[in-house]
Amino acid sequence: MNCHRFTHAINRREMLRACANGFGQLALAAVAGRQAMGAAAGLSSPFAPKAPHLPARAKRIIFLFMWGGPSHVDLFDPKPRLNESAGQQLTGKDVGIERDKLGEILGSPFQFSQHGDSGIWMSELFPELAQHADKLCVVRSVHTEGQAHGEALLRLHTGQANLVRPSVGAWVSYGLGCDSENLPAFITISPPRGHGGVQNYGSAFLPAIHQGTAIGSAEIPIAKAQIPDLVNPRLNPDLQRNQLDLVQSLNRKHLRQVEVDPGIEGLIGSYEAAFRMQSTMPRIMSLGDESRRTLDRYGVGAEPTDNFARQCILARKFVENGVRYIQVSTDYTWDHHQKVKEGHIKEAAKVDRPIAALLEDLDQRGLLNETLVLWGGEFGRTPVVENGDGRNHHPQAFTVWMAGGGVRSGLTYGSTDDFGYSPVENPVHMHDLHATLLYSLGLNHEQLTYRYAGRDFRLTDVYGKVVRDILA
Amino acid sequence: MECQLFLIGWHCRVGPSNGDRPTLLSSACHDSPTLASLGGANLCGALTCIKGSQPSQVRTIYCADESGSVPIHQRKFERWIQRMAALRLTGRARWHVVSFVNPVGMQFIHSISGTDRIPSLRGADFACQAKWKRTIRLCAAVVLLLFLCSSGNAAALANGKGRTTLPDQPKPSDPVAGKEHWAFRPLSYRRPESDSNWVRSPIDEFVLSRLLAAGLHPSSDADPRDLVRRIYFQLIGLPPTPQQVSEYVQDDLPDATERLVDRLLRSPQFGERWGRHWLDLARYADSNGLDENFLFREAWRYRNWVIDAVNADVPFDRFLLEQIAGDLLGFESIEQRDRQRIAAGFLVVGPKVLLGNDSAKQRMEIADEQIDTVGRSVLGMTLGCARCHDHKFDPIPTADYYALAGILTSTQVMEQRYMLNEQRVMEQLVGLGDSGDKLDQAYEEYWRELPKVKEAKKHTESALEFLKKNDSAGLKTLLEKHPDALAEKAKEDLLSNEARIEFQNALVAKLQAVISKPAEIPPRAMIPSDADHPADESIRLAGQFDRKGEKVHRGFLQVASQSAPARVPDGRSGRLELAQWLTNEKTGAGQLTARVLANRIWHHLIGRGLVRTVDNFGRTGETPSHPELLDFLARDLIKSGWSIKALVREIVLSRTFRMSSQHDGIANEKDPENRMLWRAHRRRLDPESLRDAMLAISGRMDLAMMKSTVWYLGDQATAVGANKNRRRTDFPCRSVYLPVIRNDLPELFQAFDFADPHVATGARHQTMAAAQGLFMLNDPMVMDLARATVSRHWGGDSDDESRLLRLFGAVLNGSPTTDEKRQLLSFVRSTEGRLIAEGDPEATVRAWSITCHAMFTLSRFQFLQ
Repeated sequence: MNCHRFTHAINRREMLRACANGFGQLALAAVAGRQAMGAAAGLSSPFAPKAPHLPARAKRIIFLFMWGGPSHVDLFDPKPRLNESAGQQLTGKDVGIERDKLGEILGSPFQFSQHGDSGIWMSELFPELAQHADKLCVVRSVHTEGQAHGEALLRLHTGQANLVRPSVGAWVSYGLGCDSENLPAFITISPPRGHGGVQNYGSAFLPAIHQGTAIGSAEIPIAKAQIPDLVNPRLNPDLQRNQLDLVQSLNRKHLRQVEVDPGIEGLIGSYEAAFRMQSTMPRIMSLGDESRRTLDRYGVGAEPTDNFARQCILARKFVENGVRYIQVSTDYTWDHHQKVKEGHIKEAAKVDRPIAALLEDLDQRGLLNETLVLWGGEFGRTPVVENGDGRNHHPQAFTVWMAGGGVRSGLTYGSTDDFGYSPVENPVHMHDLHATLLYSLGLNHEQLTYRYAGRDFRLTDVYGKVVRDILA
Repeated sequence: MECQLFLIGWHCRVGPSNGDRPTLLSSACHDSPTLASLGGANLCGALTCIKGSQPSQVRTIYCADESGSVPIHQRKFERWIQRMAALRLTGRARWHVVSFVNPVGMQFIHSISGTDRIPSLRGADFACQAKWKRTIRLCAAVVLLLFLCSSGNAAALANGKGRTTLPDQPKPSDPVAGKEHWAFRPLSYRRPESDSNWVRSPIDEFVLSRLLAAGLHPSSDADPRDLVRRIYFQLIGLPPTPQQVSEYVQDDLPDATERLVDRLLRSPQFGERWGRHWLDLARYADSNGLDENFLFREAWRYRNWVIDAVNADVPFDRFLLEQIAGDLLGFESIEQRDRQRIAAGFLVVGPKVLLGNDSAKQRMEIADEQIDTVGRSVLGMTLGCARCHDHKFDPIPTADYYALAGILTSTQVMEQRYMLNEQRVMEQLVGLGDSGDKLDQAYEEYWRELPKVKEAKKHTESALEFLKKNDSAGLKTLLEKHPDALAEKAKEDLLSNEARIEFQNALVAKLQAVISKPAEIPPRAMIPSDADHPADESIRLAGQFDRKGEKVHRGFLQVASQSAPARVPDGRSGRLELAQWLTNEKTGAGQLTARVLANRIWHHLIGRGLVRTVDNFGRTGETPSHPELLDFLARDLIKSGWSIKALVREIVLSRTFRMSSQHDGIANEKDPENRMLWRAHRRRLDPESLRDAMLAISGRMDLAMMKSTVWYLGDQATAVGANKNRRRTDFPCRSVYLPVIRNDLPELFQAFDFADPHVATGARHQTMAAAQGLFMLNDPMVMDLARATVSRHWGGDSDDESRLLRLFGAVLNGSPTTDEKRQLLSFVRSTEGRLIAEGDPEATVRAWSITCHAMFTLSRFQFLQ
């Protein structure tokens, strides 16, 4: 980045503000603009990097999103009863709900075993991840609402489905501000276009600066992904820098002439931030500076891991660059209404090695203890069969796991009944999960509010409790 | 325990006992759904057991919490009871207990204990695991109850026949007391006297008197060049041409501005700009958004109706009436009928959760969305809060919400339609024109029948194969199952096989023709209709659609009604009455509606509303900076017959509108937010104006009104999976016609704070984000338009300086300072030099294009002075 090339044109104060905090400064200008405009929104707290409410366990989050709904009873929540009773009718009585017939039980085709010193159970589908079992905190009792993908995705990402609400990453960006000089606080790698699409990383009523910056979308291989308008297709960088110097010089003159205008200040900031981002982002996205060893370890260049491996390396690089919230999404491939066996074998093989490498890599670079890694889908899958060899959507109970940043490693938390149908012990609702994610970053989910349409909104609405037991 | 008990716990309130069980009176906001799913009975049952202080009788207690029920182990529970009981022994412990009770409970305790010192101990004082905290709260409440009863406070508890003696204040939701809130009071103002020659209109009198009272003065008039630019952008969303600027600047007649304003008010571009302001509020979109983003193929008709109506200056009361009840109004021609039907699309274009949704729940949610939209856009009220409980801040009881809900659940906006190979519940459509209904039915039928035709074709093809193979046995078996698989004529006994094959071929071809020629999409509109059996709605306890409470008559907000409104007649939804109530200033909410609308118009023209929270006139919103001016404008609006154009004209022609945005250090010190209006607000161009301005300046703009800009999209506007067929933004039309796909807005809109089309938006965000910088610096469209601008203003062989002046005038409506001129020219020359050195054959034109591109990115271009 050529910071020195334009600093001569501005005074020291401006330079400090333009360079020291990077994107945070930009956000500040945005707020100042709003303040002057007097919109009655939560203006009391600035968006520049700011101290969390509580001591933070983690500085940032990587969310590995398995789109479609991985089957908890085939991956992390072994249920011998399913195999024992395979083919039999599961009744409401078996799982303590008021319904008669729930369907025919489908046994898991996979072998489960315990791993690491902690003895965490995993099926044979994650052999590489299994080697990092002691880093994981497996939560088996997550539950949510939404029988269809759209509703479940929106709930997972924003806590709500029938109303447009800011996404988790946007709340994090709002709560903590931006800590990166060249990149936004919230980046989403290959996000889904359907099932709520942009809303899943949107900022809703929070200022747009908190919206996730999308890189590509789920159906596009990450190697071909682009950020709109990141590169100028017609001007070489030198020429563009000259052009920008001209623009900024004229804009600053305008600003001096009008004396005070946070809007114009913000405009100047937005160009600098854009230029820094476009200078930085392509370098990060190219993976050109990664060693062959690293690329191999993640599985770049090999199938079926190539795509997810690239996504995971990107996530790590964003971590290194101070991005607060990074989501990595698979394509819409975990939805196995038929052939859950074949489907899960295929999908697990795409992500197992990259995820294991990500955990190892973060660990070796000393970043894992300050980065919370979350793995999960929008819901689990039914213990009963669909279409002969598949499983249907199951928001009533499913498994997510976390690693790193402040979670108790080697822990298995919560449990489901003998069939994996409902949570039995320590249920963790989606809102609780959200509250816990914020808590790990030092944010109190009840205090992280934004005033909109006359009332204070929060990620967890009026729900949510921090699951302290899973935090170290 | 004989006394009637009233327990206020953390999660619920338990009322006087009913038989031997306390009954659940009501529950705290939002906490109740899960309690409700337990029926409250477990909790109450548990309380009954505990009352006897016999923990051993307790087997399992379910503790209600947000996520469902948690069975609690009996032993653990007993231990807690014991510990709680032990805590009673010390004074401090008692307050431990109290501190677990919610604020209402605290107040209650206070009222009966007479103690005004309640230490604010938090739950954290208990060294316990988080997961038990809920249990503790509950137990705390229970033990508190025991304590109060046993220590002689029972009488106090029973005070007032089981009712508490909470301080006697009207609730915030009380609609009678609520009439005192400024927004609900009758319009009232007194024009300040002024002999200042600054004043041009009554508006200025109000503004000036407020300024003088605060020791401030209005800033000087804006430079005519700035002013004419301001007027063009504010009224029609386009910049003036250099010629239009000089015409105005050179017009010395006193009514120059008046004539300009009148001309612009008459131009069709006025409706495109001001219609868009309403479309923000109408949460207009070309797709559903939310979970299933189906295309609204017909929504554009509503959009264009809004634009036409604004251009025709349809009085706002009529404008609303047609949107809320257009399908119910009389008509004199099919065209009028169709216009009104299209207008009523307002109620239908909202976002809806479409999948995995109970139909009764869906109905309530759609009504909720409509109430929210109408409340916010017309009344400036957040009514949605009253869905689950009496409004916590504003005078809107739940009953009022369900009075409105009854009207909207008696209105149907969904219907069964066949789409994407499935019978689905979709937005209701109606055919337009004379034969609209017939065409619509034919179209629906085609899609309904298509699978059957496809099936039939499969069998006829099999039959054909059998004929070709001369397999009469196979054919016979097939025909037993599907007798229609063989062409009628081919069934004749005496035919040769060749002839049969020929007939059969013809049948296959006929079926194929049906399949490959889909029925044409008929002209249709999204439309609501009254339900077959309009009915009053029951209050839904805690907002849950399946928990019915008391029924309420369909009706309107009490607080905004001037007199008791007429009841909705049986057999009708009440939409017509609702629309009339909204603008009736005598009996209905007309005065509030006028205030809200006048404030919106002020907001768009001046840059900030007199009430800056334009969508919130409730107690949590701001109060007006100039209350009397607001009332004056509202009264004028009503007097003019609800003419938007008249009010726009009045404001634009005021001296206030003319002020420059010049900074003043002293004034800034006193009033940094410029609430007193000592100067004009500097405003940023919205994305539509930004794009339209570049298009217009480049000469590429096509000002024709557009119909659909989404015709090429499939039924799913944003689909899962490879989505090559995406919304387009390459139309050279005005931005108001670009596709508004929820969750897939054009990049420009997304980056520059376009209104989120899921919700009614009166004031858009104004943020500065890197994405905006990236768009302006790198987007090919911006560069293309810069280049087109240069070509358009090239001016033959003219010299660099005059070319620069021409471009500067076209883009920025002004002339550069000497310094700016020097800088720009030197940039052009150095860039040209570099490009020549690089061997660029078009170095000169490119250098100028890059310079013009730079002008588009200037603050002078993107901000209105």
